[in-house]
Amino acid sequence: MSVLEFDSVTKAYGRKKALDNLSFSLGENKITGLIGRNGAGKTTMLKIAAGFMKETSGDVRAFGEHPFNNLMVSANMIMIDNDMNMPTALDLEEIMASAADFYHNWDMDLAKKLFDYFSLNPRQTHTGLSKGMKNTFNAILGLASRCPLTIFDEPTNGMDAGVRKDFYRALLKDYIAYPRTIIISSHHLSEVEDILEDILLLKDGQQFLHMPVEELREYAVVVSGKEEAINSWLRGHEVFHKSDQAFGRSYAVIRNDLTDDQIGVAMKSGLEFSTISNEDLCLYLTSQEKGGIDDVFNKG
Amino acid sequence: MILNSESMKPIYVQIAEWLETEILGESIKSDEKVYSQYQLAEMLNINPATAAKGLNILADENILYKKRGLGMFVSAEAKKIIAVKRRNQTLKSLVAELVREAEHLKVTEEELIAMIQEAKRELKGDS
Repeated sequence: MSVLEFDSVTKAYGRKKALDNLSFSLGENKITGLIGRNGAGKTTMLKIAAGFMKETSGDVRAFGEHPFNNLMVSANMIMIDNDMNMPTALDLEEIMASAADFYHNWDMDLAKKLFDYFSLNPRQTHTGLSKGMKNTFNAILGLASRCPLTIFDEPTNGMDAGVRKDFYRALLKDYIAYPRTIIISSHHLSEVEDILEDILLLKDGQQFLHMPVEELREYAVVVSGKEEAINSWLRGHEVFHKSDQAFGRSYAVIRNDLTDDQIGVAMKSGLEFSTISNEDLCLYLTSQEKGGIDDVFNKG
Repeated sequence: MILNSESMKPIYVQIAEWLETEILGESIKSDEKVYSQYQLAEMLNINPATAAKGLNILADENILYKKRGLGMFVSAEAKKIIAVKRRNQTLKSLVAELVREAEHLKVTEEELIAMIQEAKRELKGDS
């Protein structure tokens, strides 16, 4: 069964389309990483999935129902993001108590243990927390609610390196014990990719890629060597990125659909192959075709 | 086991190779149960689907076999299969690389063989 489904969804803010005919479907009990550059539409997509916002056109289904203003979806879904508003009259302990009332899978034991581990103060108010502490507390809400659809939008912003690591480890352990559908959006693919099963890459409000993380690793390959050799060899290959380096050498990221023969020929002409990290690959795949930062400084 | 995130090899391949080494070294013997995908996921801090992929490679090669509801076990021929495979794949490609580098450095065949023999002597001297 598909827990979350987008069918040709468009969201327009005035003339700008934040989502442009976006379609995808998330399988049950998978951890999916939502990746994309600033402005790619990640947060818009998540807010529509969570029912916080209405799409302009298209069809959205969470657990088979339209999420906007839907109590069934709300009860089975939690979205953790950086600007969650909590009632100012409640302290952290009271916020957890009301979360326990609303979410029927809530695990107070887990919540309290994480709360203590991260040295939060139960009498503190949510607005009084630092950015990192606020996001740590929000992340605890996300974990302890054990919602069948759990969404984290940039959950580790402001957390220090130790807390980030602990959070992802806690998420993985709790997921193994209680499998559920989880979406994590992050700008730091390298710190989260190991615990992901699938990756959904957005570009300009559209789906660019949706595949298992392990397949993404084999999706592209880096070829480098002398500029002339590269330029003549590249013809007929799908090039995602190419840059010239010092000493007349070039570097290109291409689609990994090469046969052994093709690789053999390339190696004979002095070209070298290497792999590329998923993080770098996603950057190249989603970059605008305007050249790189170096071009800004090139006096031409 | 420590995963190498810089490695060219995908994580599931690293897991499969690590388990092979454990089986070759008899840390896990034939008809013994190997780690489940969830144990591996927890140990290595990775998604259980990735761990399952590593186990499935070995099952496809008959190094592991599945017992329904019980998990995966080391097959009787596991050691033999791994040894043959490593000889045909890993060793062959290492040798190919060695020969390429020697060619690059203009090292002759005799010199290369002498180097191999010396490395062998050193290995025996150490043990």
